[in-house]
Amino acid sequence: MARFRPDLSDEPAVRLDGVSLSYERTGEVLSEIDLVLRQGSFTFLTGPSGAGKSSLLKLMYLAHAPTRGGIRLFGRQTYDLKRKQLAALRRRIGVVFQEFRLLDHLTAFENVALPLRVAGQKADAYQNEVIDLLRWVGLGERVDAPIPSLSGGEQQRVAIARALINKPDLLIADEPTGNVDPEMGRKILRLFAELNKRVGTTILIATHDLELLREFDSPVLRLANGLLVRDVEYGGAE
Amino acid sequence: MTRRETPLLPATDAREAALFFVIGALCFLAALAALTTRGTYKAAEAWGAQIEGDLTVIMRSVDRRTAEDVADRVEVLANVFEARVLTREEVETLLEPSLGPGGMPEGLPIPMLMTVQADMAVGDPSPDIQRILAEMSVDGDVAGNAGYAENVRGALGVLRLVALSIVALLSATAIAVIAFATHAALLARRDIVDVLHLSGAEDRFIAGLFERRFWILALQAGLGGAVAALMVTALIVFTGSGSQGVEAQLLPRLSLDFWDIVILLVTPVAAGLAARMAARLTVLNSLKDTL
Repeated sequence: MARFRPDLSDEPAVRLDGVSLSYERTGEVLSEIDLVLRQGSFTFLTGPSGAGKSSLLKLMYLAHAPTRGGIRLFGRQTYDLKRKQLAALRRRIGVVFQEFRLLDHLTAFENVALPLRVAGQKADAYQNEVIDLLRWVGLGERVDAPIPSLSGGEQQRVAIARALINKPDLLIADEPTGNVDPEMGRKILRLFAELNKRVGTTILIATHDLELLREFDSPVLRLANGLLVRDVEYGGAE
Repeated sequence: MTRRETPLLPATDAREAALFFVIGALCFLAALAALTTRGTYKAAEAWGAQIEGDLTVIMRSVDRRTAEDVADRVEVLANVFEARVLTREEVETLLEPSLGPGGMPEGLPIPMLMTVQADMAVGDPSPDIQRILAEMSVDGDVAGNAGYAENVRGALGVLRLVALSIVALLSATAIAVIAFATHAALLARRDIVDVLHLSGAEDRFIAGLFERRFWILALQAGLGGAVAALMVTALIVFTGSGSQGVEAQLLPRLSLDFWDIVILLVTPVAAGLAARMAARLTVLNSLKDTL
């Protein structure tokens, strides 16, 4: 497996230069990662459990700072940004988690509206937009449903709608199909592909579901032992 | 029609109910300790003033009539509450610890004793009493409690210091426990902090949510504790006001005056501020770990 060193084009959505990440307990989990995600690209990230997929995504959605190296998002270096600027940048990124991370005491509508609400928008300004998005993910009938009453697939679709409500420039999904059945997983990925095609959102999906990857003609990045390599077996395109 | 917005933080759960109880109980103890310390201060002041104001006048070789004439003149002094010549029985009772029971032999010349209760805050009446004795050609002396009062003052000073230290220690403990318990309760909400953070909420916004939550919780709990302390104090004041004797004088004098009410009002506010500050620091610290 050859070390993957992609072309470094101008103003990509994401650019990682020699990024390493170490945790105090486990030591180095990512080593000298160079990566570019072009704007409007649709990319898969795969690798065995513990390879560092989630850690790499956390760096991209600004949950952690790298131990070494630089991260540029939408052309902006992130290491010297103030916390307020980071919060603003974070609003351009939608994140979908495997474990959904929804707030159980809120309804589907309120969970989806959360990014708008914390940005200070009023409910009457975003009401229709949220409902439309819930309809798009197939939850038009469950708008006011409490989260615990939804199935795993429905909860994941609420999480997707929440990630999309800000019309993000970058959508990062960490094992979005991990807690749903294969059919629902396929639907979810098709939803992402449609979004990428229609709106041009840059999408990066971490998954270990190799069967699912075969259905999409998209670049696949592979993490192994903290190193990023290109996987030529699936997807193929860079 | 605009939808009603559910608060971003869920309703109080069991952990917060426990925190509510802890804060309430600590505020109750702190308020009661503060009120008791004020009572101790007041009792010490009153007791000290009483000891210093007690004078004994010894009059030698005078009959009872002359001694009572002296008492009448002393009693009209501005800084004297009461002047009274002791009866022979009272003098015998006083001497009994030294001479034993059975009384003194008849004919034994004993001096007339007069007790004087003075208001030392206005002034020491000893020189005026001495002058009256001289004017009435009575051979006598005024004995104050200066030496004894000095010792009592010292002991009361220590008592006040101990009471104040207990209040300071209890208040500091209460604030520390409230801060720690708030910190623990908030860590259990870490998932919400993370979701809000990743949804693009600014640190100040997230901290503000938790600050308001724990400020109100601690204020309500503290108010409950203060009200409980008020009720206990009221019970002591109203049921114990009839107590008499030396024991009653030595006990803290609980009351419900303006400053006691101030203490009861300050207690929940201090608890609320401690919880609020702890919530703010905990949220900001936990977010410091993130980018």
